[in-house]
Amino acid sequence: MTGASLWRRQEVALAGLLGVTVVVMSLLSPDFLTARNLLSMPQFFVEPGLIALAMAFAIITGGIDLSVGSIMALVAVALGLAWKRLGLPLPLATVVALLVGGLAGLLNGAVITRLGIPPLMVTLATMAGYRGLAIGLSRGQPVSGFPGAFRGFWSRELHLSADVVTHAQLFLFIALAIVAGVLLWRTVLGRHVYAVGHNEVAARYAGVNVDLIRLGIYAMLGLIAALAAVIAVARVNTAKADTVGVGMELEVITGCVLGGIDIQGGRGTILGAVLGVLIIKAVTRGLELAGVGSEFVMLVTGLLLVAAVVASQVARRGRVVEVAE
Amino acid sequence: MHKRLFLVTLGGLLLVAGCGKKEETAGEPATKTPRPEDVFKTEAAGGAGLKVAMIPKRKGIDYFNATQVGAEEAAKELGVELDFDGPVEASVDKQIELIDSFITRKFDLLAVSPNDPDAIAPILQRARDQGVHVLTWDADANAEASGREFFVDQASPESIGYTLVDVMAREAGPDAKTVIITGSLTAANQNEWMKWMKKRMQEDYPKMEVLTTKPSEEDPQLARQVTQDVLTAYDDLDGIFAITSVAFPGAATALEKSGRAGKVALTGLSSPKTMRKWVDNGTVKTVVLWNPVDLGYLTIYAAKALCAGTLKPGATQVEAGRLGTKPVEGDRVVLGEPMLFTKENIGKFDF
Repeated sequence: MTGASLWRRQEVALAGLLGVTVVVMSLLSPDFLTARNLLSMPQFFVEPGLIALAMAFAIITGGIDLSVGSIMALVAVALGLAWKRLGLPLPLATVVALLVGGLAGLLNGAVITRLGIPPLMVTLATMAGYRGLAIGLSRGQPVSGFPGAFRGFWSRELHLSADVVTHAQLFLFIALAIVAGVLLWRTVLGRHVYAVGHNEVAARYAGVNVDLIRLGIYAMLGLIAALAAVIAVARVNTAKADTVGVGMELEVITGCVLGGIDIQGGRGTILGAVLGVLIIKAVTRGLELAGVGSEFVMLVTGLLLVAAVVASQVARRGRVVEVAE
Repeated sequence: MHKRLFLVTLGGLLLVAGCGKKEETAGEPATKTPRPEDVFKTEAAGGAGLKVAMIPKRKGIDYFNATQVGAEEAAKELGVELDFDGPVEASVDKQIELIDSFITRKFDLLAVSPNDPDAIAPILQRARDQGVHVLTWDADANAEASGREFFVDQASPESIGYTLVDVMAREAGPDAKTVIITGSLTAANQNEWMKWMKKRMQEDYPKMEVLTTKPSEEDPQLARQVTQDVLTAYDDLDGIFAITSVAFPGAATALEKSGRAGKVALTGLSSPKTMRKWVDNGTVKTVVLWNPVDLGYLTIYAAKALCAGTLKPGATQVEAGRLGTKPVEGDRVVLGEPMLFTKENIGKFDF
């Protein structure tokens, strides 16, 4: 069996799972399968969804980034301070904030590639460091009261009817998902990403610039996290170091793993990552609508992840056997 | 083959989740059945059929469990359908998602204790835009940006400040030399309390002194440290105010160790369950707080009154069952005076 057909089967399975989720959830709550509900979900999906696009690249190379939520906090604070304290016009402050995110990611990548420290350790350290820096810089104080033009640009509500509202950032997500998907699936760069994850040493001998690829991936993660942070700030009209992006890394990594991206690298797709995050959001939302209580929602998402990891290990073992045969 | 296993395992899990829910529905049909009239809100004049969502800062801690007890008691008396659900950690993002779900489910009223007054505002404003009533309780949201109608206030900052000073005057004398251990020097609610404390001293106890005000940054270790420091620095100290739920137990630990318990009075704000051991051993005589059970109870009565139209701008009081009537001051429904917990009554409270 070729790798390509394996992935395609995986995505069919995931799409099926999403279908099952939708059916189960609409049985649990009459509110689930309504335009009102489905169109209101993107506001909570886009931020983890965007980061999952970049996280997929990192995990496929055998890496991970735990600092994305903290980068979001740092970016939110940079945005608030550049605007309120330095008095920059908001569009310029936004550019500064995006650059801060990109630099934070670049620093992750530089430490990983130059010092050869595993991404897990590096981003565990910067996860604490970046949020600490954000809290320190802002002294824990929020910046609020962003102008309507800024909020409307980054988190536009589209009123389709009196009580059906959706969110324009969905289109940004779709566009970037297509770019990420094509990049990984159809380009030389994409094949190099898989090669690094399969066997880094072999990739190096084959002339792949492993360090540059990894550096680029972590910088891109920082930039995408920054984009998500700007959207989040616009959505809640508040930039605060200890609330923006809390728990984001877990949500995104859970989605990627559920989406069939092998945590040990070398395997996975953008479509899988997107479906994984979608399934988690649909399960969470459906159970919330059913009114079962948030402890139960947490329990089910936890079980879902365990099942995904087990399934992916079983799949991996099966594949090894096939190759051996 | 293994891919099918992947699908089957996950699909099975979802079905299990589904079954779990069905059992629960069977267990409590009165509160959890899907609503009958579907999309259209039952515009409830009397209160029956009213769907109220109450969202605490977080679930599973003593304080909010106590508010839930009171809320459920009131909901039963009024025939209100109550869903009490909050995030499992104190996250404003999770609160926002939950609130969006409640809006989608067409609840009549949302009563929120927001983790962040500004970040919660846009989603509350959206609820208002869609005709959902919004109350805050325990903690307020940014009133203007959120469009929330009333804030059910456990105790006014004025009454909290006054009560703390009155307790100190009783325990350490009207001319006591005191220090204040606060949370952070920038916390709005704590600064507000201190403002009223100082006003009470000026007006009623002009000889009472505040020697210094020390922040403890909601850190138990630091609270212990600063208490030790002030005990060493001021030999003639008569009393300590520890005005956050973290500072108070920290200060009590330090005072107990110093051997000056009894000579230096200590009072402050924290939950009776946390402070009980120091009240029992005499380090602390009085703990000041409000009654969270009554706060939950009053919130549901205010919710019903708001939906029925009796609680509206300009109202001066609201009917609140076993609590009698409670005053409405502007856009605040006030539970009343803080409660004092002493050796006599502290064992009765499980929060």
